Amino acid sequence: MTAELLDRLATDLDDAFPELVAAYESAVFATALRLCGHWQDAEDAAQETFVRAYAALGSWTELRIRELRVRPWLVQICLNAVRNRARSTARRPRQAPLDDGVGVRDPSPGPEAEAGTRETRAALEVALGGLPDLYRRPVVLRHVTGLGYAEIAEVLGLPAGTVKAQVHRGVRMLATALQGTTAVEEAG
Amino acid sequence: MTPTTNDTIVESGLRGLRARPGPRFGAAVLREVGIVDDYAPAETVVGQVYVAMSRRGVSRVHTAGSAEEFEELYTTEFGRPLRRVGLPVPIGRALENGDGTALDYDLRGLSEYWRSVLHATLGIPRGAVRSYSWVAGEAGRPRAVRAAGSALAGNPVPLLIPCHRVVRIDGRIGEYGLGGPSNKRRLLSHEGLDVDALLPWTRGEADPKY
Repeated sequence: MTAELLDRLATDLDDAFPELVAAYESAVFATALRLCGHWQDAEDAAQETFVRAYAALGSWTELRIRELRVRPWLVQICLNAVRNRARSTARRPRQAPLDDGVGVRDPSPGPEAEAGTRETRAALEVALGGLPDLYRRPVVLRHVTGLGYAEIAEVLGLPAGTVKAQVHRGVRMLATALQGTTAVEEAG
Repeated sequence: MTPTTNDTIVESGLRGLRARPGPRFGAAVLREVGIVDDYAPAETVVGQVYVAMSRRGVSRVHTAGSAEEFEELYTTEFGRPLRRVGLPVPIGRALENGDGTALDYDLRGLSEYWRSVLHATLGIPRGAVRSYSWVAGEAGRPRAVRAAGSALAGNPVPLLIPCHRVVRIDGRIGEYGLGGPSNKRRLLSHEGLDVDALLPWTRGEADPKY
């Protein structure tokens, strides 16, 4: 599917671009949401991602487009968009992300949410929001975006071994944090 | 040391944090980069309709209470934003002449059989009618009459692809998506057909012998 889509992006960008958006909007948006923790900021960052992607595709040769690995490429742009947004919003005061229950207004657990209750989910969101970027990024890219370690390594410009260690460490930290919150009766 | 929550639970919990953007996200992106479809209102025998065109061809013809309502319907159906333009001359002419054969259509999203049915229907000339079984046969599956009916009911571009020219072999005029059977009757009359003579048994006077 991807090879066929790339082929069409290379030959008729405006015809194929809507399919690119439809195919990847969830991956890009979810990545942005779990990195910045705020629904509207995430939609803005995701939109910026696709606008930049469109501009890039419009200026590239067919060959370059055909060789593209779409998912890590979009995620890379998304990471930059989230980073730029965080930098510009840092100047104005804002509530800590995710701790007010307003930031993320998606109450329904996804189909893969076997993990249990809404409380666990909310606690996990809070724990993820408290995770340092060093771990949060690789953890989100691995388990929310669903990238492979090699792809994450490429996106973050790190050796795959380092990425793998960071993901494991990040997951451990989340597990520990969850243990703490559930013990303290109120999760979210 | 207290035991920690199982890593596997955290991992599946993280997968549960996947989320979709709002339903208008894709259309907003496309509008931002300038990928919009065009639409225009048009006056027809059955009143005002809106005609939408993608880069590939005519994609939708429908009645709507207002332009906004049509834009809403279109973006919901196709996920693409709309921009209002003047009615292209060839489309106006096709509506007036009841002959949409010279236009391009964008029928993406329909199954191959549905497209065959619509393609067969496109060739029914003004002033003529055909049966659902004729259409099914022309589309290459003579026994799939019911499926042909579904395809015609789902015709995204009525008037231009003249599904109103397909009538039931038992003599009833059949359903019509664009405003119901009365509009179908009005269109056929306007095209010079004596609908009552064509379908005498609709008045209960005769029994179809075929």
